[in-house]
Amino acid sequence: MADHSNEVLAPTPGERLANFFKRKDVARTTVLFFLWTVLFIVLGLFFYPKWMPEIMSKEMKSAESIMIWFTVISAPIAGIVLAITTNAFMNMHRGDTPPEDGPAIRTHGPIVAIWTIGSLVFALVAIAWGLIEINSQAIAAASDAKSAITVEVTGSQWLWTFNYPAQGIETHDLNLPVGVPVIFDVKSADVNHSFWPVQLGVKVDANAQVTTVIHTTPTKIGAIDVKCAELCGLYHAYMETNGAVMSQADFNAWVVAQGGHTA
Amino acid sequence: MSHDTEFHVHHDSDAAVGRRERLGVRLLIVADGAFLFSMIFSYFYLRNLNTNGAWLPKGVKHFSTGSAWLVAIPFVVAAISHRLGQENKKTRNLTSLVTLVVLLVGGYLQWHQMSKMPFLVKDDGGVVSFNGAYASNWVLMAGSGIFHYFLGAFIALGILIRNRTTNLPYELDLWRQRTAQSWFTWCAVAACLTALTLSVI
Amino acid sequence: MSTLDKVHTSSRPVPHPKRSLITRLHMGTGVVVGVLFAAIAYSLLKNSVLTYTDGVADPLSPHNNNIVLLGAMFAWSIGFMVGIGAFIGPWRWLIGKDLTDEEILYMAGDGQGTKRYFKYCTDHKVVGIQYLVGVMTLLGVGGTMAMMIRTNLARPGGHFVTATVYNSLVGLHGITMIIAMIIVATGPFGNYIMPIMIGAYDMAFPRLNALSWWVLFTAIPVLCSAWFLGGIPTGWTAYAPLSVQAGPGMNAFLATIIIFAVSTAVAGMNITTTVVAMRTKGMKWNRVPIFVIGSTISVALAIPAFPTFMVAMIMTSLDRTFNTGFFDANMGGSGWLYANLFWIMGHPEVYVILIPGVAALMEIAPVFVRKPLFSYNAAIMGFAGIAGLSILVWAHHMYIAGWAPSLNGAFMVTTEMISIPTGLLFLVLIGTMWRGKPWMKLPMLSVIAFIWDFLIGGITGIYLSDVPADGYLHGSMFVTAHFHFTLMGAALTGAIGGLAYWYPKMTGRMLNERAGYISFWFVQIGFNVVFFGMFMAGAEGQPRRVMDYAALYKNSNLISTMGAYSVGIGMIILLWAVIHSWRHGKVAPMNPWGAKTLEWTVPYPVPLTNFDELPVITSDPYGYGKGK
Repeated sequence: MADHSNEVLAPTPGERLANFFKRKDVARTTVLFFLWTVLFIVLGLFFYPKWMPEIMSKEMKSAESIMIWFTVISAPIAGIVLAITTNAFMNMHRGDTPPEDGPAIRTHGPIVAIWTIGSLVFALVAIAWGLIEINSQAIAAASDAKSAITVEVTGSQWLWTFNYPAQGIETHDLNLPVGVPVIFDVKSADVNHSFWPVQLGVKVDANAQVTTVIHTTPTKIGAIDVKCAELCGLYHAYMETNGAVMSQADFNAWVVAQGGHTA
Repeated sequence: MSHDTEFHVHHDSDAAVGRRERLGVRLLIVADGAFLFSMIFSYFYLRNLNTNGAWLPKGVKHFSTGSAWLVAIPFVVAAISHRLGQENKKTRNLTSLVTLVVLLVGGYLQWHQMSKMPFLVKDDGGVVSFNGAYASNWVLMAGSGIFHYFLGAFIALGILIRNRTTNLPYELDLWRQRTAQSWFTWCAVAACLTALTLSVI
Repeated sequence: MSTLDKVHTSSRPVPHPKRSLITRLHMGTGVVVGVLFAAIAYSLLKNSVLTYTDGVADPLSPHNNNIVLLGAMFAWSIGFMVGIGAFIGPWRWLIGKDLTDEEILYMAGDGQGTKRYFKYCTDHKVVGIQYLVGVMTLLGVGGTMAMMIRTNLARPGGHFVTATVYNSLVGLHGITMIIAMIIVATGPFGNYIMPIMIGAYDMAFPRLNALSWWVLFTAIPVLCSAWFLGGIPTGWTAYAPLSVQAGPGMNAFLATIIIFAVSTAVAGMNITTTVVAMRTKGMKWNRVPIFVIGSTISVALAIPAFPTFMVAMIMTSLDRTFNTGFFDANMGGSGWLYANLFWIMGHPEVYVILIPGVAALMEIAPVFVRKPLFSYNAAIMGFAGIAGLSILVWAHHMYIAGWAPSLNGAFMVTTEMISIPTGLLFLVLIGTMWRGKPWMKLPMLSVIAFIWDFLIGGITGIYLSDVPADGYLHGSMFVTAHFHFTLMGAALTGAIGGLAYWYPKMTGRMLNERAGYISFWFVQIGFNVVFFGMFMAGAEGQPRRVMDYAALYKNSNLISTMGAYSVGIGMIILLWAVIHSWRHGKVAPMNPWGAKTLEWTVPYPVPLTNFDELPVITSDPYGYGKGK
């Protein structure tokens, strides 16, 4: 009978994996991977909410969510890329002559495949998220249309004018009742402007003689800023106005004070 | 001039040079194609939008649907006439003259059309403008047509003169005839696409 | 005697074709004829029937003014080209008297020393240096404008410059830098290095090479003239109808782009034909250096993209001169037509900018890590995938324009998909660095910096590509920060790496290392600070292109401005290093980096025709590594 007692067996997949991670460069890269990934997660989770203004609509919440969660999802990718890069940086060779040649790795089929598929998955997740959100916003806009308040927005060099046809008023301040869907019909009196009620997280360009439309529903009471987001000439920077989301009662009072009528 | 022979420039073979010149011209055709695409895109996009109903405002005259074909025909004839003479040294003197004349005629026809644009309006201050988006698109295409006719005529003139010159390298010039053919064919195609576009009013 | 002067040894005959106009023409005659043509055009148009109102020229009419100015600008450009001898070749072709070999050698600059840099010189190496100087000039001018913008924005309510000047700064800084970035890698290195890299004597069309440089040159004074004509009120995107309404300075912008489009089409065609038709024996496609492939894909993409911009500019010019109505809603036109045409060009254009910079870094990484380029095929698929997809994404710049909301989803899909080939570019670079010991010279540092910069640019691009987030972010400083991270952080960083890498071959000297490192850190750290501040300001809600802002944004803006000064200092140090090392740098050996591509097999000064005998290639240039 053949003696197999001294045979050296090939390592099991588990052993090969363990050996791989025991390698100095791999171990260090793995540590760096965790550091960078955590950094990006922290960036996403903490900085965006800190910087962004008050969230006063679902669209604004959606915008902030995308920024936070896409950063978190990207974090491991950033982690791998930066880990390998920092590891390489830490391995640097200094001096006036090049170092010895490294291993002649020309490609690695499985890695390229995994990387490509991984990017595809990531892209599909982002696409799905976006399409679902677009769709839900479109559905909400359609179903809210009947109960919506319409505001006709006119941008001109360099101020915003708001006409509330149902209330019969025209103002330069944008006030809205909380919880009531609003349809903005936007146009320009001259060049391209872009209507941006910042805290509501929606935006649409104002074009001459063509009306563009956006929908939203303010969800929180508070001050809003209306800015212009398209360079429209000399005083583009000053094409801003104030506004607020207020309770229905306060809104009605304001309308009446402007000379309009409620209901 | 005997001292010329002191100077030696490496010349690749005539066929190699000729083929790469033709490739270069074909790449420029791609650029010109993008230019044409932009004009056609503009035509159909503005027609589709019909902002303020001003694609062709009420009462504004337009060119007939066939008029642009008339101006395209010289390009087609030029392409055919050049092709006929391309490989045939005997007929070349005649065909190159025909090509040149046809292109000059085409340029004149295009100019004549532009001089008779029916959609200009003059306001009280005497300022002339183009009434409607159809008009704007038309004049851009016509202007492009004139430019291409005169460029084509320049090329045809050069070919005519070079056909009659005896000391040019034969094979390289043959390749250049082929290169010019690429250009003339493209101009004919572009003119037909333009005519097709302008026939949709 | 400077190394620039050594063109040939004294035993060869010097070409000097007698009775040939070529020998008497140069940049000076170009300027004289250009100014002459401009003056003639100006006076003819001012008095001509083109300027209507009952046969009397009305000098106050804006339309007349635009006709006169545009005419003068184009006349200047054409006149300069006449005066420098660009049309001698076509004229001689027309009359059937082709240039003699002596004339061809003369035009290649043989025997002319430094003078040849100021002539219509066909030698691709001369054109490469001309482009390098041109790029540095544009960067200097554009960079100064950036400093002025950030100085104005250091504090809220700051009025370092007036509103007119500020708006002009924003638009002119943008277009200057965009032009500079389009040519920053393919201009100097695509011209000087690329033909040597593929084992060719010169480019496919040497005379057109000179043409593309000098045409670009004529655009520079035209662009600068905007300042003397009242500036421009638009951004670099020159949206209509504001561009149609704009004052006389706008003509300078329009003419610049039209002229530049001619230069770019010719250059793109030249590079593509050269690479396709003139690779030396044995250099099959899978042995072509990646820089060559990337540059070719980039310029091949530019060929169909730029004419669209040219058409948009011509339409704007027509609206401003002959009262057409492409962009006027009263006349059936639409600003959306402009936006579509612009972005059909504009998005491919940013990849035209990006790809050569990345390709240069991919050329650098194997040399300095001493490993083969990881997955050459993935690199090509990355570039090709990006170039192909780039034609399908343009309306992501118009998600909130209101032009076609139902198409937003489709453009979002194509835009997100670009992240896949883009990801491959990262894989190639990190795969190359993996298990290597990078030789950390300036070119390699640029690779490292690129990874960070482009990663941030890419991730922030992913938010922007998602329609609901873009509803908040569009038109804010966030966008500005995103595209600076990609265009400047990737393309400029790549070009600086390329400059440090190829400097020894282009100048015969080594770039001052210490100055290079100092510049690198000032620029990279400063750059990250500037645009980190801008991400913050944008997330906080500050619109872009504004000369002033609410107190809420003051911290982010101050941070940003301080970063800008650091970048400025760094770039000045780099400029000093480039100029100083050119004369006083250490003389470079033939192959200081131990690289394997063909340009390192020729001595400096590079002989006029690069090679005595064209090399025969038997492998790709990435044969590094033990156990190949």
